[in-house]
Amino acid sequence: MSIFAEVLRWFADPVHWDGTFGIPNRLWEHVQMSFLATLTAAALALPVGVVLGHYGRGGNLAINVSNLGRAVPSFGILVIAVQLFGIGAPPAFIALVALAVPPIVTNAYVGMRDVDPELKEAARGLGMREHITLLRVEMPVALPVIMAGIRTAGVQVVATATLAAVVAWGGLGRYIVDGFAQRDDVQIFAGAILVAGLAMLAELALAGLQWLATPKPMRSSLLRTDRSGADASIVLIPAT
Amino acid sequence: MLRLDITDPWIRWDWLGRHTDVITQALLQHIQLTAIAVLGGLLIATPVGLVAWRWRRLRNPVLSVSGVLYTIPSLALFALLVPFTGLTVLTAEIGLVSYTILILVRNIVVGLDGVPAEIREAATGMGYRPAKRLLTIDIPLALPVIVAGLRLATVTTIGLVTVTALLGEGGLGQLILAGLIQDFKTPLVVGAAGSVALAVAADVLLAGAQRLATPWRSAR
Amino acid sequence: MRDWGFRAILSGVLGLSLMASGCGSSGGGSPSSGKPIASQFVLGGPPECPTRPFCEKGLMDKYGLTFKDFKPLDAGGPLTKAALDRGDIQIGLLFSSDGSIAAKGYVVLNDDKHLQNADNVVPVARTATVKADAQAILNQIDAKLTTSDLAAMNKLADIDKQDPSQIAADYIKKVGVTGSGGPGKGKIVVAGFNFSESSILAQIYGQALRIIGYDVSYKLNLGAREVVEPALERGDIDLYPGYAATELEFINKGKGEATPDPAATVKALNTYLQPKGLIALDPSAAQDQNAFAVTKETADKYHLVNLSDLAKNG
Repeated sequence: MSIFAEVLRWFADPVHWDGTFGIPNRLWEHVQMSFLATLTAAALALPVGVVLGHYGRGGNLAINVSNLGRAVPSFGILVIAVQLFGIGAPPAFIALVALAVPPIVTNAYVGMRDVDPELKEAARGLGMREHITLLRVEMPVALPVIMAGIRTAGVQVVATATLAAVVAWGGLGRYIVDGFAQRDDVQIFAGAILVAGLAMLAELALAGLQWLATPKPMRSSLLRTDRSGADASIVLIPAT
Repeated sequence: MLRLDITDPWIRWDWLGRHTDVITQALLQHIQLTAIAVLGGLLIATPVGLVAWRWRRLRNPVLSVSGVLYTIPSLALFALLVPFTGLTVLTAEIGLVSYTILILVRNIVVGLDGVPAEIREAATGMGYRPAKRLLTIDIPLALPVIVAGLRLATVTTIGLVTVTALLGEGGLGQLILAGLIQDFKTPLVVGAAGSVALAVAADVLLAGAQRLATPWRSAR
Repeated sequence: MRDWGFRAILSGVLGLSLMASGCGSSGGGSPSSGKPIASQFVLGGPPECPTRPFCEKGLMDKYGLTFKDFKPLDAGGPLTKAALDRGDIQIGLLFSSDGSIAAKGYVVLNDDKHLQNADNVVPVARTATVKADAQAILNQIDAKLTTSDLAAMNKLADIDKQDPSQIAADYIKKVGVTGSGGPGKGKIVVAGFNFSESSILAQIYGQALRIIGYDVSYKLNLGAREVVEPALERGDIDLYPGYAATELEFINKGKGEATPDPAATVKALNTYLQPKGLIALDPSAAQDQNAFAVTKETADKYHLVNLSDLAKNG
């Protein structure tokens, strides 16, 4: 039987839908962790990036943080987190937040910087105070780029959560790691399909969110919304 | 929750001193794996990118497909290959090259697209044939974006190489894995920091090369 | 899009509800009478444990134990020990030659029904690349290796954090390996499983082979036997330090041929290996078996001495 037929059989087997090792549980672990980590990273990173971008300060810092963030190997961060925080969910969570922060900060900064200065002048001329300008004028305009950063971070988190199975966490990566250990090619393949599927779903969902956040006149099409809200060299990061 | 083991400091310099050969070997393997992936990716991405740029009808499918494909997490991609190509350098390289191709194709297309139409028309008007125009006008003007893609591809690959430690390769990732298995911080720190240092160095080098190749642009 | 407040509240509620539902599934049982102890315990071990005849599968078949859950961790390494200490698992798979068992005060439950067999260290190699002179020097090493050597070397790796290659070099110097050879003997790739004892053994073998002139490279921490053995069959690697009884039961797909007699076990093993162009060399006296350990508190609380005690109600 070809491996593809065996993989189909694996998915059809009710045993794989039940219990701790079942698809629903692993999927839930993965989604929950990814969602919380991305949310936390956004909560930490957005204020920093938005404020820096608004005042035009720390541009070099923002860009360098993103460059450094991209350079840090996620595998290394995970193992370091285990050294610091033990095993289980906490180190995975902290490592994922740490990896998600740089792209959000950078994109928030770039998005805010790219807001037309004339717009800000006009707002100031109308007597709007600083923080009102920031929230009601600049952020909506910067939103597409900010969302692109969250989208990049979100997909990155889903991908790295896969790797967290190597440091004894759960999630969908479990099938791949366990499959490697048990030399169960079918499990490896099935796990890879599940992981890739979830990553693509996350990408689509976040792309949809980014599209919704883009003001109507600036929208192209859902399919062609890409993650390069600003400069291609800064914000395009494939999933590790 | 924080476990700080004072008997195992983050770096034991004596370990470093005694293991320079192990570290060097890991570093060399890391560089080798990266170089093959980036250069191989460039080799394949260039014709694909040129084709996608020239023939408009192919462009959206190519970009959409590549956009979807590089959503696949690296561990999953390697996992899909293992049943067919085993735990070998080949598996590692196929996976790594896939990611570099995706980045480079996109940047080649976007870069060539960014060449102002007036300049291209002026060149054609001056009698440049398509091939000559491509080589002397389009590509040089697209270089900044293409090199930006090269930088991104290189830095990303250096990070991904550490994951190949799970396939028996890994470069500096082997030190990270050893740190995990032996519960030992020093090789872990050396592997992770080394990987970061390598990525930063490569990025700086490529940025410098870009500046040399496009002297007419002020440094960005 | 204008209403940030509403968004913040919504995401906060969503996040909190997710966290609340996800929290609180650390294992552990308080003694509740009338149920087998094993059913209250979470077992921790390497990911391949559930399918292994000397691991969870064997505990189920031979001892009739069904555990509450299984947690995939690592091969008797730091993750398993951390899980034991934290109470994420109540019983974990360690290795009998592990130097830190005594140091950490774990209690190894007696294998009273003799699930484990002759897991003597034995080199498993490809005959094409590991030729007669290489085999001779490997046998020489195995003849001198003892279980207490293994325990001592493991302690150096796990507690003193010495590097396996250094430990191996010191060991070779101590026992004195005789042999010599010029270059040009050929390449050998030595692999090790994903725990430090295997890295040490692989390094010992590899460094000895280098002494007689082979060009040795390593693929350490490659994975479990399920990964390493097929790699050997495919020729991706040429040699790895195996454990006789477990090798046999792996390759015969759990037929139950292994015995406490190392020589007989290796003989049976070779009947399977030879058609594949592989060979298991002379087994060493040094043994390393699966050891199922609990913390001292757990042992005291449930009065555990033997593995079969886990089948009792408590």
